[in-house]
Amino acid sequence: MIGLIFRRLLALPVILLVVYTITLSLAWAAPGNPLENPEGRQPPAEVMEAMKRQYNLDSFWRFYASYLDSASGFEFVRDTLSGEIAGERERAEASGLAPRARPVFDFGPSLQYEDWTVNEIIAGAMPVSITLGALAILIALVIGIAAGVIGAVKPNSFADLSTLAVALIGISLPTFVIGTVLLLVFGVWWAILPVGGWGGIPQLVMPALTLALPFAAYIARLTRMGMIEALGSDYVRTARAKGLPERSVLLRHALKNAFLPVLSFLGPATALAMTGSFIVERVFNVPGMGQHFVNAVLNKDLFLIMGVVLIFATMLIVFNLAVDVLYRWVDPRIA
Amino acid sequence: MLRLLVPFLLLAALVGATVLSDRPPKPADFTFINGNGDVNTLDPQRMSWQPDLRAARMFFEGLTANDVFTWGYDIIPAVAESWEVSDDGKEYTFHLRDDAKWSNGAPVTAGDFVYSWRRAMLPDIASDYIAFFLLIEGGPEFYDWRNDALSEYEARPAAEKTAEAADALWRETLERFDSGVALKARDDHTLWMRLTEPTPYWLDLCAFAVFYPVYPPLVSAYERPSPDSGRLDLKAGWTKPDRLVSNGPFNLTKWRFKRSMRAEKNPYYWNRDAIALDTIEMPAITEPNAMVLAFQTGAVDWVTDVTVGYRADIIQKKKEFYEENREQYEALKAQGLDPIEIDRRLPKDPRKNIHVFPAFATYWYNFNCLPKLPDGRDNPFHDPRVRRAFAMAIDKQTLVDQVKRTGEPVASTIIPPHSIGGYESPKGLPYDPAAARKLLAEAGWPDPAAFPTVEIMFNKDAGHDLIAQAVAKDWQRNLGVSVSLDQKELKVYRNDLKKANYMVTRAGWYADYGDPTTFLEINRSTDGNNDRKYNNPHYDDLLDQARSERDPEKRMAILSEAERILVEEDLPLVPLYHYVTVYLFDADTLSGVNPHPRATQNVFLFDVLGDGKGPDVPRTMPALPPADADASEEHAGADGARP
Repeated sequence: MIGLIFRRLLALPVILLVVYTITLSLAWAAPGNPLENPEGRQPPAEVMEAMKRQYNLDSFWRFYASYLDSASGFEFVRDTLSGEIAGERERAEASGLAPRARPVFDFGPSLQYEDWTVNEIIAGAMPVSITLGALAILIALVIGIAAGVIGAVKPNSFADLSTLAVALIGISLPTFVIGTVLLLVFGVWWAILPVGGWGGIPQLVMPALTLALPFAAYIARLTRMGMIEALGSDYVRTARAKGLPERSVLLRHALKNAFLPVLSFLGPATALAMTGSFIVERVFNVPGMGQHFVNAVLNKDLFLIMGVVLIFATMLIVFNLAVDVLYRWVDPRIA
Repeated sequence: MLRLLVPFLLLAALVGATVLSDRPPKPADFTFINGNGDVNTLDPQRMSWQPDLRAARMFFEGLTANDVFTWGYDIIPAVAESWEVSDDGKEYTFHLRDDAKWSNGAPVTAGDFVYSWRRAMLPDIASDYIAFFLLIEGGPEFYDWRNDALSEYEARPAAEKTAEAADALWRETLERFDSGVALKARDDHTLWMRLTEPTPYWLDLCAFAVFYPVYPPLVSAYERPSPDSGRLDLKAGWTKPDRLVSNGPFNLTKWRFKRSMRAEKNPYYWNRDAIALDTIEMPAITEPNAMVLAFQTGAVDWVTDVTVGYRADIIQKKKEFYEENREQYEALKAQGLDPIEIDRRLPKDPRKNIHVFPAFATYWYNFNCLPKLPDGRDNPFHDPRVRRAFAMAIDKQTLVDQVKRTGEPVASTIIPPHSIGGYESPKGLPYDPAAARKLLAEAGWPDPAAFPTVEIMFNKDAGHDLIAQAVAKDWQRNLGVSVSLDQKELKVYRNDLKKANYMVTRAGWYADYGDPTTFLEINRSTDGNNDRKYNNPHYDDLLDQARSERDPEKRMAILSEAERILVEEDLPLVPLYHYVTVYLFDADTLSGVNPHPRATQNVFLFDVLGDGKGPDVPRTMPALPPADADASEEHAGADGARP
């Protein structure tokens, strides 16, 4: 197990470097000038040129190297060793002002949101997306497993078919439809939940539910398949033969194995849910990560694109690793 | 089995932890949605967006301010308690009040203004409004010198680009500024400047947020010369709540990206007793429908930009409400009350919460005025008679009533009438298809079928396509010419517009300051925004005359004549309608919004009626003369223009 974690963590920087190179090449090739403010007045041409040079936007390789330097933390280590960071802090304190924040992994300034660094943007949006994503996966697990078990116990019964139908709707209905319907019913007609924003449990319910439904539908199908297979296996027959109560057979013996495919689905699903959904965020006005994936690309905000992509890649790798570790722990046969 | 529960428990713990660590703040005295997203920047010198400027007026304060409860937007003292203007109208001396303080208690000095305005003149900052600052004598030379010096620095060999060299260039820049630019702090409380030419709207510009001061010790810590390029390396971060030092009525206490901003009354603000709100919350909402829902459910008190698709229907409901209370409404209107006060005196009804005010902006159609079209053909619109004929053939009233449907006033002039104190708008041209046909024939096109196909260029967003169809239909029906529609992507459209690569195109302008020149200068033959390539020496000459005219009344008359040439004779553009500002708020519980076209809303003057804080008495605009059938005889701003 330790070996697995070690190997995966060793591979992490290599994978990130590949992701970094591919993403930057693609983003760089996209047309448009990241410094252009689509609605504002344009600075004079010579100022625009100088700004391009300042951000290394005039040369792919210089940008590639300098961004890698600051995002990987090398720059921070260098500046710490050279005493520059300590000097800056002293100067700020001497003039009675709060010192400038120096993150270890510096993803640079946002070109579109000029008052913000990419680190600040991600730091603000991540907790929101993680909370929402975690709750959505939790809801999806509860609904999905319950529906899957019910379906598997009596295949092709009315209960099975109706959960199948609900799952189908969950998978095929776009989230903006589900979200808007929920908004209309609970937010406007009955007015029992706030229509949007962020801040407390009530605001969480509708977006989490909307985000959860497609995942729940998928989990339900996975569980049902796994349960049907498990219920037909020898060890379940043995358990029944021992005279165990049906509840115990289902939950202790069958579900344990049927849950394994769900567990392996959880890795990428959690990473996906936690990095936000553009549509859910827009409908419910949730300040999460999803908007940045879309807006950063539209605005060609290179620093922000690279920042969110690197964070997403890291999360994907870490969650897959976590799932693998859990997997082995839950099912020692695999180790 | 228990092991299976572990993923659940982990997820639940995560949710619990983040929810607990992120408690919602206490409700604020006043909550509003500022624009349609988050504020872009709180650095006054780099602002250009309406929501940014609105926020800047809460957190900062300039030398002067506009009294937004007068129709002339009169200039009143702010950080400066008094000022003198030299006889030639070029020199200004401002006396700063003793009790103007930064939010850390330090006094606001004349040097702080010099520092801030110098920032705006640097190519390093790339201020959108740099042209205003270059009105100061020596400014253009300083800007050019700095630009050249930076190019020279960048051309140096790498070995000579050191931190010392960059610092030396920066010191030289400061010396250049001090010796060459006519902007000086005579002492801590006296600011002196000389302009290259008399600028009657200079005091108005001093009230503009881009001219607000920043706190030099703070900002200079984030802007150091970069050894690589010699320019200032601008770091983000000083506009954040824990660091920002500002001098306005409110302090920034929380700002979370695309989420919310919070302001609390600044205990150091000199005029703090005039502030009726203690806390203001500004949630960032981008979805137009979510904004309306937030208002209807009581989550916000004011929506500053209602853009939702069904807004025309909401506005229609308000018309119905007026219709139901017709007698009372007409009587209140006859008293000269402002539209917000009228709403306040009408019966309570949720339908009246939508408010449509004319904006300081106009939507129009450009004609390419060059002799040749980009493809080398002769340009029929080079002839002013043709342009006039096309202008008279558009049925603007039907366009506004049936296509726009959001209450925009029809425009026959570029400058919205009654938006500038002391300025009398020309009449403009009427809708007259018969006269238009006659004029077109006189111009050498008796057979409209022979007229080249008119190409209308527009970008596809925001309903421009519908307007283009309506205009095309009018020209086909009223003039008999053939029209083709040429839809472009926004960036292509903008590029073609700038290069005059079009025949006819949609365009418009939001004014920057309270003077007719904000609309008229963009038609000067040499202006960078003269996208029409309009060139009339007589028009340019009138603008020059206005520049040197010291008598404000005569100056306004000259400018009015210049606009008359534009909208009655030459028509390089056809004004279609004036934009509107659409707000959602309840006039019964909110005071402080003003219905003036310039829409400078000072949130720090707002008062929630009936909350026990502040005077709780609605503020209103001075009474207008009784409404007249002919609107051009109303001089909304005439009484308040000159102090």
